[in-house]
Amino acid sequence: MAEPLVAIRNLKLEAGTARGRAAILRGIDLEIGRGRILGLVGESGSGKSSLAACLIGLTPANTSAISGEIRFDGQNLVGLDPTAFARLRGRRIAMIFQDPMTALNPLFTIGTHLVDVLRHRDPGLSRAAALSEATAMLVKVGIADPEARIAAYPHQLSGGMRQRVMIAMALLMRPDLLLADEPTTALDATVEAQIVELLAALRREVSGSIVFISHHLGLVAQLCDDVAVMYGGTVVETGPVDAVLTDPRHPYTRALIACEIDEDDAPGGRLLSIPGEVPDPVRPMTGCIFAPRCAHAVETCRSEVPELRTSGDGRRAACLRFEELP
Amino acid sequence: MTRLFKDERLGYVASRLLTTVLIVFGAMVLLFALTALVPGDPAKSLLGPQASPELAKRFIAEMGLDQPLHVRLWRFFGAVLTGNLGVDVISGKPVVQLVASVLPYTVILTFSAIGLSVLIGVPLGIHAATHRGSASDTILAFVSVAFIAVPSFVIAIFLLLIFAIWLDWLPVLGTSRSGEFLDEARRMILPTLALAAGWIGFIARLVRSSMLEVLGEPYIRTARAYGLSERLITYKYALKNACIPTIAILGLGIGRLLGGAVLVEIVFARPGLGRLVYEAVSERNFPVVQGAVLVVVVLFVVVNLIVDLSYSAIDPRIRRSSGQGAGA
Repeated sequence: MAEPLVAIRNLKLEAGTARGRAAILRGIDLEIGRGRILGLVGESGSGKSSLAACLIGLTPANTSAISGEIRFDGQNLVGLDPTAFARLRGRRIAMIFQDPMTALNPLFTIGTHLVDVLRHRDPGLSRAAALSEATAMLVKVGIADPEARIAAYPHQLSGGMRQRVMIAMALLMRPDLLLADEPTTALDATVEAQIVELLAALRREVSGSIVFISHHLGLVAQLCDDVAVMYGGTVVETGPVDAVLTDPRHPYTRALIACEIDEDDAPGGRLLSIPGEVPDPVRPMTGCIFAPRCAHAVETCRSEVPELRTSGDGRRAACLRFEELP
Repeated sequence: MTRLFKDERLGYVASRLLTTVLIVFGAMVLLFALTALVPGDPAKSLLGPQASPELAKRFIAEMGLDQPLHVRLWRFFGAVLTGNLGVDVISGKPVVQLVASVLPYTVILTFSAIGLSVLIGVPLGIHAATHRGSASDTILAFVSVAFIAVPSFVIAIFLLLIFAIWLDWLPVLGTSRSGEFLDEARRMILPTLALAAGWIGFIARLVRSSMLEVLGEPYIRTARAYGLSERLITYKYALKNACIPTIAILGLGIGRLLGGAVLVEIVFARPGLGRLVYEAVSERNFPVVQGAVLVVVVLFVVVNLIVDLSYSAIDPRIRRSSGQGAGA
């Protein structure tokens, strides 16, 4: 197999909080294949967005320590000089955010947003050329009447339209790595479906790899090639989407899938949920991070930290007992 | 789309103009009430207790004070609308002439003080926000608060002592009699500094806090995620957003200085609207008070109208919400 675009090794992220140092990422090992779409799933607080923040070099201000390695096309992004990182952003790495309502500056037109990022990518580009390129991209992301929209301010567009603009902005960069942080979560269900369709249709437009963050397994199954399931700042299972979702090895992945199926089958009914609480990032990890909530946990699960182990078909799971589980 | 946009904007301008006119009329009624309702006999207080009853009676009749209130209010409105602010009861000069003779001094002083505050305060505020927690941020915070806390006339006295008396660099008092531009400009320096000091501190604090708020917004993170330079982010994307509260305060500041620079005017022996009102009040010279305050009110309201329109030009959302409000 070709060398992956991104290889993450033992990535740890700590943040200072009022209650002490919190381990946001507890040693992530993950690869993002070239031209592949990786779905990153997990509950809120599992570290999905923090992982994306590390990949684009915009960790929150309270970050106290970051260690490990993120090899992006051979270059280590951990500890990379800020100006060098700024050169990667908007040229090789781009990002779509969760809430399109706040991700665009209210005082500037759509055109200004698009032209500025285009001219950051390509400083020699004239404003007129940038505008026509931007207009063409708006058409591609399904915006009717692009000339009028390009002169419009964000508040004059609907949420779905704004997310289309954000997608256009990202695609204009022709990034090697596109991070999409729950791009449909803040939208209405019908608009969400449209945006997912758009993303699926635009796959061909993106030559690079995509990281699609979501807490919605159905979307990941629909869009992604690979999936990484995150829990408590760790990756508990990863591999090709079909394999992982049809035959999950890790108890947490199984629980997550069970929740999702229940949600789909019984709308408005009682939701199946995983008993227990999301692990406290301030407490150190002494055993399996999922052990306190795991139905299959035994004594060794609480004392030994499981590593990601190959479970066949290019899949890996961080569970000491996956072979023994039914 | 574009047509609708223009209508929104026109509606906004129209509604703001209407409120401006209403405020000026309200101020005229209040100012009229001031002279009509203040206790005491204007004839006695102006002519002195020795004045003969005939003289007092003639004075009252000349001033129209024997007419019923509504007639007097109507006459006052009519006079003001034709540019007649009445006659100074002491010197006999038209009030318009008095106000016109001091107005340029006040306007120039106000705008140069506010202009200087913006020129110095805005960059300082941006620096403090982008270097949050640094030594320069801490020092700036201290100096700003000190400047805000010390009254401008105290600063005026210190400036006079240092630059005009000890160092003898600048003229001490008054305005240029010859009307010479350079001489007048030199005489403006100290009063401008005295008035601007507090405003520099105030604007620096305000710009700092609005910049910090804006820099934490998600759209700034978007700009960073696309690798835009910190300079572009600070001066284009963030500053424009941070401008709005600052401009609102500038409107109030200009209004405040137009009528309220009296102590600095007195310290530097300069003529001005504030001083004119102050002296007229102490002499119970009501036509002058009325006329001068009305001019201050009109200037204040016009400045704030310009401010409102200017931030509707900066923030497209303001046009929209107010336009809808006016249409409803």
